[in-house]
Amino acid sequence: MAVTVAPQAAPAPASRPRITAYTAERFALLAVWVLLIAGFGVALPDSFLTWGNFSILFASYAPGALLSLAIIVPLTAGDFDLSVGATLTLSSCIIGVLNVWGGVPLPLALLAALLAGIMVGAANAFFILWFRIPSLVVTLGTTSLMTGLVQWMTDSSTIGGIAQGLVTAVVGGTLLGVPYAFYYALATAILMWFVFEYLPLGRRLLFVGRGREVARLNGIAVDRVRAGALIASAVIATAAGAVYAGVLGSADPSSGLNYLLPAFAAAFLGATTIMPGRFNPWGAIVATYFLATGITGLSMLGIPLWVTNVFNGGALIIAVMVSQLTRGREASDIG
Amino acid sequence: MTRTTALRAMLAAAGMLGFASTAFADAAADGLAAATAKLATYREKPVFKAPGPAFDIKSCAAGKKQLSIPNASTNPFLKGIIDREIQVGKSIGLTVQEWQNQGQPSQWVQGVEYAIRNHFTVIDLISGIDPKTIAPQIEAAKKAGVRTMTSHFYDPSQPRTNLTSSDLPVSFNTIGKILADWATVNTKGAANVVIVKTDEVPPTGPLVDGIRSELAANCPNCKIVQEINVGITEWATKIQPSVQSAVLAHPEVNVVLPIYDSMSQFVVPALRLAGKTGKVKVATFNGTPFVLDDIRAGTVDMDIGESLDWIAYATIDGHMRDLCGLPQPAEINVPFYLFDKSNVADAGVPAGYDKGYGNAYVTGFRKLWKLEK
Repeated sequence: MAVTVAPQAAPAPASRPRITAYTAERFALLAVWVLLIAGFGVALPDSFLTWGNFSILFASYAPGALLSLAIIVPLTAGDFDLSVGATLTLSSCIIGVLNVWGGVPLPLALLAALLAGIMVGAANAFFILWFRIPSLVVTLGTTSLMTGLVQWMTDSSTIGGIAQGLVTAVVGGTLLGVPYAFYYALATAILMWFVFEYLPLGRRLLFVGRGREVARLNGIAVDRVRAGALIASAVIATAAGAVYAGVLGSADPSSGLNYLLPAFAAAFLGATTIMPGRFNPWGAIVATYFLATGITGLSMLGIPLWVTNVFNGGALIIAVMVSQLTRGREASDIG
Repeated sequence: MTRTTALRAMLAAAGMLGFASTAFADAAADGLAAATAKLATYREKPVFKAPGPAFDIKSCAAGKKQLSIPNASTNPFLKGIIDREIQVGKSIGLTVQEWQNQGQPSQWVQGVEYAIRNHFTVIDLISGIDPKTIAPQIEAAKKAGVRTMTSHFYDPSQPRTNLTSSDLPVSFNTIGKILADWATVNTKGAANVVIVKTDEVPPTGPLVDGIRSELAANCPNCKIVQEINVGITEWATKIQPSVQSAVLAHPEVNVVLPIYDSMSQFVVPALRLAGKTGKVKVATFNGTPFVLDDIRAGTVDMDIGESLDWIAYATIDGHMRDLCGLPQPAEINVPFYLFDKSNVADAGVPAGYDKGYGNAYVTGFRKLWKLEK
């Protein structure tokens, strides 16, 4: 299933207006983000415009940012991975069950979660590539399967008391006033940006997403690239689960799925910025924190929470719409 | 106006002001004393009070079958109640079966139809299934001679539907009052409260009303700074950022009341990230074990608990009274018990669902049911 964004024509060197439009599109969301911050800053000068507020915002949305980064890897290769939310839950609950109930040392529990994540990615890849089942169907199935397994292994109960080491490693310490959680998301984004932009692997991933047959005819091992993308996605989602467990200090068996739609919203919103027309890690990060800023500001104003859902959905639709208008409503095969 | 008159007027005004401030201080002190006294009753080990006259439960239950439908079988609180109902049922000759479901109304419909087809006597809708959601099926059950009852769902003040044969409500309003009194006492009458609630759950209304009315009655200096309404499906994504925002936007907040204790897993990290752990107190309701563990860890301050086993006994008692045509108790009558740092060890390490409440009810019910003398 192809889920690529319509190719963005490279800006023609001789065409100044085209460059201007492209540049405007690249930074439009960033500009709106700054305006949003300014707006909330005017409304709430004492509480919103503080470094403390932003440091908390950066840390608490780190699991969501990681999840949107996880999603864009297979999306770039043309596959949906709906199982990242369940993988996040599976990861945090494996850590909780092993560490709290089983008394397993934290590093081993983390290793077990990582292995489980790799297995999830490999299983997704096996069913999608070997049996040629659409990724949407397979990852929907594995989501349900993992949800059931998590309910079984946790007895549907939240597991509190995860080793303090994880909490300390995630939110216990700060760098420039921002808890470490944010830097895990940042480091992942940097790594992905490097791979996407500077390594042949990143180009192969993009080619596979844009046209599998063309990529195959050019000698790219399409199935291997897609399998790698699905495993990478599961591994990043596993990391998101570990960070989530560290932020909460507990493992909640039911909350991961609720992160799925916001993560997809951030991934698609991110495809309209920084490198418009392409799923890109910086776009995903900007989009995640743009949406988080909206939720935080609206919450601080005491506005009912249903408004934040309207904000999220409205921002996504408007951003994609403006992006399409900027590019002359070129045919797009997003989703 | 002469100088003398002006002086007299000023003195009178000052006197009035002084009187008013003294009266205000008295009201605050009286309120604090009243809240302290009320709380003390919930710190004592629960005592069994008979919900009605003694009766021969075995003759009532003989040959009867009860299908217990929880809001969702994944909820360990409800699952725990039903597991215990099954055990209590065995001791009195009542067959109790759980209708396993994942919280989908279509599955509740299937459950009612299963009860009709298999000639159950009672359908027990536990904690969260609004009978109006499956009204046609309950009507069909009534026609087929199957009685539908609710337990641990309504507040006694809420209007009951005539679909059910009887109901065993819980005073959620009282729970709200306990939370308010706790906030009053633990801030010495100066609580600035954030309430985290879920309006879509019917008991939320009377519970939050209880907080409001009790703060108004006992704490003139207390204030509800913000009420945050979060839908159940959004607890994981919305509670943490909302609470963070609330305590940052209102630095005077010193108490957060997540009214259902599973919310507290998202309140605790919010306070941790905002640097408010220990500075903002957290009190809640349900007695869920991991929250009791959080009390031991010092991240939650108080949790109002109920014994699941006691709820199971009280539910069976109420339903059997209905079957035998005996008067129904006005409430389920399971006492609330406060857990805080001073007594949380009684709940076990790690905490369990039924620990710390004593077992006065077991002998109490068995005597009431004429199983023991």
